[in-house]
Amino acid sequence: MLWITLTKRMSPNRQLAQFFLLAFAGVALLMLTLHYAGSALSGTTSDVSAVDEDANSISIIIREEPPQLNSSRATDSISGMVLGHVMEGLVRMGLDDRLEGAVAERWEVTPTQATFWLRENAKWSDGQPVTAADFIFAWQTALKPETGSQYAFLLFTIQNAEAINQGALPASELGVTAPDPYTLVINLARPVPFFDKTLVFPTFLPIREDFYNATNGRFGADADQLLYNGPFQISQWVHGSSMTFERNPYFWNQAEIHLDTIHVPYITSDATASLNFFKDDKIAITGLQAENLIEAMRMGWQIHQHRDGTVFYLEFNHRQGRPTDNLNLRRALQLALDMDEMVYKVTKLPGYEPGVSLFPGWLMGEERLLRQEYPPQKITPDASLAKQHLKQALQELGLSEPPSLVLLAGDNPISNVQSEWVQQTLKTKLGISVKIDKQIFKQRLAKMTSGDFDLVLAGWGPDYNDPLTFGDLFASWNKNNRGQYNSPELDALIDIAQSRLQPAARMRAFGDIQQHLIDQAVVLPMYERGVTYVVDPRVRQLKRRVIGPDPDLSRAYIDVSGE
Amino acid sequence: MSSAKLSPADFQPLVSNGIVQQISRPSLSYWADAWLRLRKNPRAMASLGLIAFLLAFVSLGPALWRIDPSAQDLDQIGIAPGADRTVTLAAPFEPWNPQQQPATLSDNSLGFTLALPASTQAVRLAWAATGATRHRLYRNVFDPETTGSLGLPLVERDQPWFEDRLDLQSGTYYYTLVPLTADGVETSGAVTLAVDVIRVISIAQARERGLITADENVQLGQRLKLAWHPLGTDYLGRDMLARLMYGGQVSLFIGIFAPLAFVLLGVIYGSVSGFLGGAADQAMMRFADFVVALPFLLFMILFKVIFGIGPGESGIWPMLVAMIILLWPAPARLVRGQILQIREEGYVSASRLLGGTTAYVVGRHMLPNTMGVILVTITFQVPSAIFTEAFLSFIGMGVAPPTPSWGAMCNEGIKSMLTRPHELMFPALLISITVLAFNLLGDGLRDALDARMRGVE
Repeated sequence: MLWITLTKRMSPNRQLAQFFLLAFAGVALLMLTLHYAGSALSGTTSDVSAVDEDANSISIIIREEPPQLNSSRATDSISGMVLGHVMEGLVRMGLDDRLEGAVAERWEVTPTQATFWLRENAKWSDGQPVTAADFIFAWQTALKPETGSQYAFLLFTIQNAEAINQGALPASELGVTAPDPYTLVINLARPVPFFDKTLVFPTFLPIREDFYNATNGRFGADADQLLYNGPFQISQWVHGSSMTFERNPYFWNQAEIHLDTIHVPYITSDATASLNFFKDDKIAITGLQAENLIEAMRMGWQIHQHRDGTVFYLEFNHRQGRPTDNLNLRRALQLALDMDEMVYKVTKLPGYEPGVSLFPGWLMGEERLLRQEYPPQKITPDASLAKQHLKQALQELGLSEPPSLVLLAGDNPISNVQSEWVQQTLKTKLGISVKIDKQIFKQRLAKMTSGDFDLVLAGWGPDYNDPLTFGDLFASWNKNNRGQYNSPELDALIDIAQSRLQPAARMRAFGDIQQHLIDQAVVLPMYERGVTYVVDPRVRQLKRRVIGPDPDLSRAYIDVSGE
Repeated sequence: MSSAKLSPADFQPLVSNGIVQQISRPSLSYWADAWLRLRKNPRAMASLGLIAFLLAFVSLGPALWRIDPSAQDLDQIGIAPGADRTVTLAAPFEPWNPQQQPATLSDNSLGFTLALPASTQAVRLAWAATGATRHRLYRNVFDPETTGSLGLPLVERDQPWFEDRLDLQSGTYYYTLVPLTADGVETSGAVTLAVDVIRVISIAQARERGLITADENVQLGQRLKLAWHPLGTDYLGRDMLARLMYGGQVSLFIGIFAPLAFVLLGVIYGSVSGFLGGAADQAMMRFADFVVALPFLLFMILFKVIFGIGPGESGIWPMLVAMIILLWPAPARLVRGQILQIREEGYVSASRLLGGTTAYVVGRHMLPNTMGVILVTITFQVPSAIFTEAFLSFIGMGVAPPTPSWGAMCNEGIKSMLTRPHELMFPALLISITVLAFNLLGDGLRDALDARMRGVE
C-alpha cells in the first residue's frame, strides 16, 4: 500500500495537513455530486421558470401548504390566498380595492335584509351553474357546531346564526332564503351597515351540497376533493412540495384572466431560499428582509412595498392579580417604550410604521381616512415620568421593588429582536426584569387564551374593510380579547360602533374607542407591518392586498414589451 | 604461576563505599515521564497554551473589559470591528413641522430639496406642492444611474414633504422623487438628490452613554468618539467582545464540568463492574446499555420540567444534569474493559499473593493503569460537550436571553451571515479553536500516558 508507506515516513504535522486537504477535497466532491444528483432527481420542479411566455405561466412560492381547503373551516392567510384564486364568492375586491360583484351581479343592503341577484352564467368546474342554494349550504355547514369553524362568528350578523352555532337551533333555521335559484335573500339579525364588505372572507364562499356529501368528509383535502368556481382550478397538489393552478374553462369571466397556468414549485418559509429562487429565475416574486435590501439595490431590482394592514401591539394581561392590571404600571411601560426607536433602529424594516393607534392608517373614516378625521394622541416617551408612574404603581400594588414580568412572544427572528429590545429597555429605564417566553404560534395562542402571561407580542389583521374589525377587539365579550380587558365604558362605545347606521356617529365612536385605549393604556401599538418585495418586471397586474387573497395573480399577465 | 608479594594489607576487608550502582538520572515517575513526553509534542503544548488562554479570556477577561454584555448601543448596531466611530454633537431630535420651518425649494422640475442638514436623526425632504398631488419617494445607497433601480420605496405621500428616519447610517443616500397620477401610476420627471448623512448624537444622549461627563462644557457641532467595540457589535448593538467572554463562561463551564462529572461516575461504575465480574458485571453492563438507549433531547426537556424551569429561564442546570445522567456509560465501558484485562495480569496476582488488600490492588495497580484511558476520554468529551451546549442553545433549549453563549451567538449570527459576517465568525471561531485545542491535547495525552510507550523516545 503506497499510501501507508508514504504516511509512515511523514512527520505528524505533514500528515495532519494532508488529512485536512483530503477531507476538504472529499467534502467538495460530495457536495458537487449531491448537487447534480439532486437536480437530476427533482427534474420536474426545476424545469419551471419564473415566467414562461410560451406556456403563458408564472411561478410563485408559498410559505407553507394550506392545512386544507374547505372554505368553511379555513382560517390562515395561505388558504385564503389559494381559495381566492380557485373560488369566487358573492362579491370580491377589485383591482382598485373597491368592492365589486363576483357571482352576484348586483345587491342591496337594508337595515333588515340583504338581497343578492346572482349571474346566471357563473358555473362550477363540472359545468353546472352556481346557485343560491350553494351559498345557503356553505353557510349552514360553517355554522354547524360539529364543523368547528373558527370564523363562524362572522356569520352571526345573519338571523339565527348564533343560535345554530351554539346548537340551540337546527341549521335549516338560518335566516337565508332563495326565492329562485339566482336570488339570495338574507335576513339580518341586527342592522349591519358593512354587511356586504364582510362577504369577501373565505367563510362565505359557496359549497355544492351533492359534491360535499360525495367526498365523505374529505372535502378540500386534495385537488380532486374540491369543486371550483373561480378563475383557476388546482390541477396538481403534491402535499408538502408543490401545487399547480390551471385556468378554469367554465369560469364566466374568461376575458379577465390572462394566464394559463400558475405554478407553485416550492413550499418553504425560508426567506434566503426564496431570494435565491428569485435570483435563479425560478419564481417571479419574493419578499425581502432587512439584510437583503442592499443586495437587492446592488442588483438593480425594482423594489416594491406593500402595507399588509396588520397592526402589531404589546398586549397586557388585565386579569385580576396580575401586575399589568394596574393602570400606572401600564402607563409607565407606555411612556418608557419608544416605538420610533424600535421601528427605525432595531427592526429596521422598510414599510414598517411606528404604532400610534390600534386603528391602522389605511382604514377609511366617513369621508377621509379615519386617522385623519380622528388623529390619535401621540405619546412622547419620557423616562422620568415613567418612573413616577412606576413608583405610584408599586405603592398601589404594595410592592417594594419592580415586579418581574413574563413576555410571551413568537419564535421567529423579528419577535426575538423585539422581545430582547423590550427586555433591555424595561431593565435600563424602569428596572423591571422581563422573562421572555418564546412559543410557536399554536402554543402562544393557547397560553394567551389561558392567560399565562403578563405581556404578549400580538398582532391583528383585518377580516373585512371596516374599522370595527379592529374596534371590537377589546370588547369584554370578544374571544380574541386575550388579556380579558373589561370596561363597561368601552363596551358601550363598541355597541354604538356596531349598531348605529349613521356613519358619522360610528366614526365618532371609533375615535372615542381609540382615545379610550390610549388613556387607559389598554394596549401599546408597536407598529403597522409593511412588506418589501421584488417582482419579475415582465409580470403585470400582480395585486397585493390588505383584504382578500395576497398576492393576487388572478388578473396578472405577462408583458415582454418592457424588455 | 606467577609469584606475587602479598602484604598484610591485602588481607584487610574491603571498606564498603555504599555506592554499588549509581543512577545517573533521577528516577522518572509515571507522571513525570508522561509530562516529559507531552512537552516534546509541540501540537499538544500549543493546545495546552490555547486552553490556558481561553480560560483566562473567559475568567479574567470580564474583569478587564468591564462592559455589560446585554447593554444595547443602539447608535452602533451590527458594526464591524474597526468601524468609524466619529459622531457630531447636535440638538435633540424634534419632529419636523414644515409649516413652521418652510424650506427654500431648489429650482429642479419638482422643487425637490433637502430642507435641513441631513443627519442620522432624520433626513428632511421637501418639494413643490404644485403639479402632481401624490408622489412616491425612493431611497438608494447606490447611484440610480449606475444600477438602474431607484431603490427602496419609502413612502407615497400627498403632503409635499417627508421626514426619513429609517435606519440612517453615515454615508451618501440617493433620494428619488417620482410624481404619480391619480391612479398611482408613476410618471416621468423623477428627480434624484444625493444626500450626505452625518452621524449625530444629542448632548443628553452623549451624557447617558458616558461619552462626556455631566459637567463637561461642550458645544453643538463638536466631534466625539462613540463607545469602542473592538470586535464590533451584534444585531442589537451589544458588544461582541463582552458577549464572547460571558458566553465562553457558559460554554466552557458545560464543556469542562459535565465531562469531569460523568467520566468520574463512569469510572466508578465501570471499575466496580469490571472488578466484580460475573453476573454482577453482566447486570451492570445491561443497565448501562439501557441508559445508552435513552434519548438525550427528551430527557433534557423532562429535566427542564422537573426542575421547574419556566420559560425565559436558563436551561444550563438541566443540561448539566441530563449530560451527567445519560452520558456516563461510554467511559464506564472503557474502564470496565481495562479493569477486566488488568485483573488477569501477573502483577495483580503477585500483589494479591503477597497479601495486598482489594483497596490496595485497586488503588496501586488498577486505577493508575487505566488513568491514561480516563484522561483521554475526558479531553475528548470536552469538545463534544461544548458542541452539545452549542447545539442546544442553537435550537433554543439552552441559555435564555439576554445571557449569551457561543452556540446561541452563532444561532443569532447566522441570520445575517452575508451582510454582517463578524457576528457569526467570532463565536464560531472560538468554538472551533476550543474544540480543536481539546482534541489535539487529548491526542497528545493519549500518546504521553500510554504506559507501554514508557521510556520509548
